[in-house]
Amino acid sequence: MKPWPRSLLTLIGFLALFGGAAYAQVPGAPPVEFPYTGNRTAVWIVAQLHILFAAFILGAPIFVVISEWLGYRKQDPRYDRLAKEVTKVTVILYSMTALTGGLFIFVLLATYPQFTTWLINHFFMVFAVIYPLLFIGETFVLYTYFYTWDDWKGNKKARHIALGVLLNLIGTITLFVIDGPTSFMNTPVKGEGISPAEFLETATLWDKIYNYTWMPLNVHRLVGNVTFGGFIAGMIAAYMYMSTTKDEERSYYDWMGFVGNLIGVGALLFLPFMGYLLSYELCDYDASICPYMMADQLSMFFEMQGAMIGLIFLASNYYIWMSMKRIQGVEKVRMTILAPIVMVTLPVVMTKVMTDYPVPDPMSLAFLLPMLLSPVIFGRFIPITVSARTIIKVGFLMIVVGDAIWMTPHGFVPTGAKLVAELELPSDWNFLALMPAKNSAAFTLVFVTVVNYVIYNRAISQGTIVWGRIDFVSQFVLIFLAFSAIWTMGLMGAVRSLLRKYFHTYNLMPDFTAESFTPTLSYSAWWITGITVVFFSVVSFAIFVTLRASHPKDHVPEGSPVPAGAK
Amino acid sequence: MGKAIFKIIIGLLVGAGLWVGTMALEFPPVFRWMFFAYAILGTVVFLVLDAPSMKPMNGAKAFGAVLVFYVILCVVYIAGASLWPQYDPEDEKGKIEKLLKAKREASEQGKADELIARVKALDEQAKALAERIKALGGDLAPPVQGTGGPGAPASTAAAGDMLKIGEDQWQLQECYNCHKLKGEGGKKRGPELDNIGSLMSMDDIKQKILDPKSWMTEGFEKEFEKGKMPDKYKDLMEDKDVVALAVWLSTFKNTSVNTPKSIKKK
Ligand code: HEC
Ligand code: HEM
Repeated sequence: MKPWPRSLLTLIGFLALFGGAAYAQVPGAPPVEFPYTGNRTAVWIVAQLHILFAAFILGAPIFVVISEWLGYRKQDPRYDRLAKEVTKVTVILYSMTALTGGLFIFVLLATYPQFTTWLINHFFMVFAVIYPLLFIGETFVLYTYFYTWDDWKGNKKARHIALGVLLNLIGTITLFVIDGPTSFMNTPVKGEGISPAEFLETATLWDKIYNYTWMPLNVHRLVGNVTFGGFIAGMIAAYMYMSTTKDEERSYYDWMGFVGNLIGVGALLFLPFMGYLLSYELCDYDASICPYMMADQLSMFFEMQGAMIGLIFLASNYYIWMSMKRIQGVEKVRMTILAPIVMVTLPVVMTKVMTDYPVPDPMSLAFLLPMLLSPVIFGRFIPITVSARTIIKVGFLMIVVGDAIWMTPHGFVPTGAKLVAELELPSDWNFLALMPAKNSAAFTLVFVTVVNYVIYNRAISQGTIVWGRIDFVSQFVLIFLAFSAIWTMGLMGAVRSLLRKYFHTYNLMPDFTAESFTPTLSYSAWWITGITVVFFSVVSFAIFVTLRASHPKDHVPEGSPVPAGAK
Repeated sequence: MGKAIFKIIIGLLVGAGLWVGTMALEFPPVFRWMFFAYAILGTVVFLVLDAPSMKPMNGAKAFGAVLVFYVILCVVYIAGASLWPQYDPEDEKGKIEKLLKAKREASEQGKADELIARVKALDEQAKALAERIKALGGDLAPPVQGTGGPGAPASTAAAGDMLKIGEDQWQLQECYNCHKLKGEGGKKRGPELDNIGSLMSMDDIKQKILDPKSWMTEGFEKEFEKGKMPDKYKDLMEDKDVVALAVWLSTFKNTSVNTPKSIKKK
């Protein structure tokens, strides 16, 4: 895309935002009715699309800068190329973010005028001043960052990297700012003994922003965005790998896929814990949210989340496995037998410890930390070692076991009200459905993944990597990871919105429309899939126009058909 | 190939073992199938791990393969999500309707009030204008009459069986998510309430609902400190509904259930 239509799109986004804030001051327009989807789903679609684009343009620059810096430090041009290619895609998707954002505010105002006006008025400074300013700043810095890439080289490189850091700073603040109203809708300020409505009247803007779930949401989204950015970079690499036949290009994109996946997985490891933190705060705010999520109307959404996270962990470890297969000399790598022992015993021990010392009791750490670190600390004293291959296979077994624990529900019912004995876990085994077991399952997945990366690291220090020779299936794994991560985001976004039950703002602003019920998981899955597909089509198109079109001559060897695989 | 068959056999054996084992432990059939499914998942994982590598693709073929792959993913995710038990929104629609009835009336009342206020303001303006015109000696314009009367009369509380309303409120406010009653619901989040009538009077229960910090249940001190029982019913429920719920609960005097006692805190 040429710069001018891009700027035009961004401009439209701005106008919509300002227009929206101004329009919100005029009371009274009756809500419109969206045909076919209905109003709620219409808002759902635009909001989720907007979040996906926004998540990418916030998440990608984080590792772009890291990558650029690594390239500078190691004097390895591959990192710089990766950073620049991802930035190119980011710049295009930036205008999509502005466009969908503008659309979002319009659709909101058209469908829920009263509520939207109310929300904008409560966060007037945010919507009318802070957010637009940040957005303008972000636009300016992003374009400067992109267009100075080739000029600020050599001794000016440090300056360019600093600009990238500034970009991330603005991006992160933007995320934190908009999370204010978002988290406020879930957990509005409250005070003991006073009704939320009364409390709200005296609350300052800061009170409203700094609510129970603001920080947990900030952190979860920030890290989630890095995961997501990493996996999309992996997908970019997969597309490009598939569309080239040149060996050097293949080895570059093979490498890029690996780095993208590494970043994605690295951030992924923290997500289960941040997810728990978020739900912990939600339950702390109002303990009845917890059963609504885990035992009642949304319980099956969390089953699906468990399935998705299980698949994501399986796929990312499968990718490491295939990366390892292309290293010559991997057979020689061995590791202490303590590693597989810890893997196998972790779910049991941790469930027990967390049951006896529930979170946030630090006592549990006294047991778990030594256990987790034992392969590192005691490994050298125990002479028995096991081959990397065996450990990885034990690891896969434990990932399946971990998934199994994560997914075992208390009952196969969509609501606690319908629980009958034939669909319920026997009470002796009910612990399988409780938090300690779920935590230990998550921990097992994380632990196995870390061990796999440690093995990988040893393998590359002892052997040689043959870039570009990875099993072709791995490219599908990269695509799978991106697709599944986005699908999961869509699912969890829906969950967070639905947690407000029949309120726009929980317990404060009731949703009087006929659509305030909890939709079925199946219905949600259709829309989440649809949203994911739309997002993917746009991203795929963006990758196609930026990267394929930028140097077609390098990529298309004479006489070969045009690689449409660049889609 | 031989290896793959070996793995499949092992996987099926493990699955069968889990099936039989969980049957012996009296897991309901759904759970047995679930464990069996986990064994199949494990088998597939181990088959895939050592599967022969895939031939590189290119151009249109790769494009087609990716497209097909996306279609498969979409189908699998939608089908997968649809296979889980589905919550029936109809169950909730009636509930929400009832829950929001009072608030909706209040908000419509609010809107009506606002309209009346606006009409009144217009009225004043018109009068003032007429005064000015009169003062200027112009024609006497008839003052515009306000049209709005007082808002619709407050809806009379549906007379009916108090106990029925109380039971309804128990379901609507989802107290069952934390309290077991008549052997249903609970999950040990809060005390079982079948004998609450012998321990607390209607007024005590009412006070507990309106202000959970007013009473502390023995054996649930930690939960009390953390404020597990939500402090929101005073904002969400109408007074008459709270009374009905308290009345209904105070009829539960099943001494065979060990409902813990509460200590008055306020
Ligand atoms: C999120 C969980 C939760 C919900 C929802 C909840 N409660 Fe409670 N309730 C508790 C807990 C925990 C206790 C014990 C701790 C305490 O004293 O606060 C309790 C205590 C009580 C007691 C005192 C019990 C005794 O044995 O003395 C009564 C009565 C009660 N709740 C009624 C209700 C009613 C009525 C509702 C629905 C409007 C309700 N609760 C909703 C968690 C909950
Ligand atoms: C590996 C595990 C996890 C991954 C990969 C993951 C990923 C994500 C991602 C990417 C988002 C969207 C962030 C954004 O919109 O910017 C998200 C949101 C969310 N996650 Fe997680 N998460 C994980 C674990 C959990 C857990 C364990 C829970 C709760 C039990 C949880 C609860 C939520 C909720 C409620 C949201 C909604 C936030 C929103 O979109 O506004 N997550 N998750």
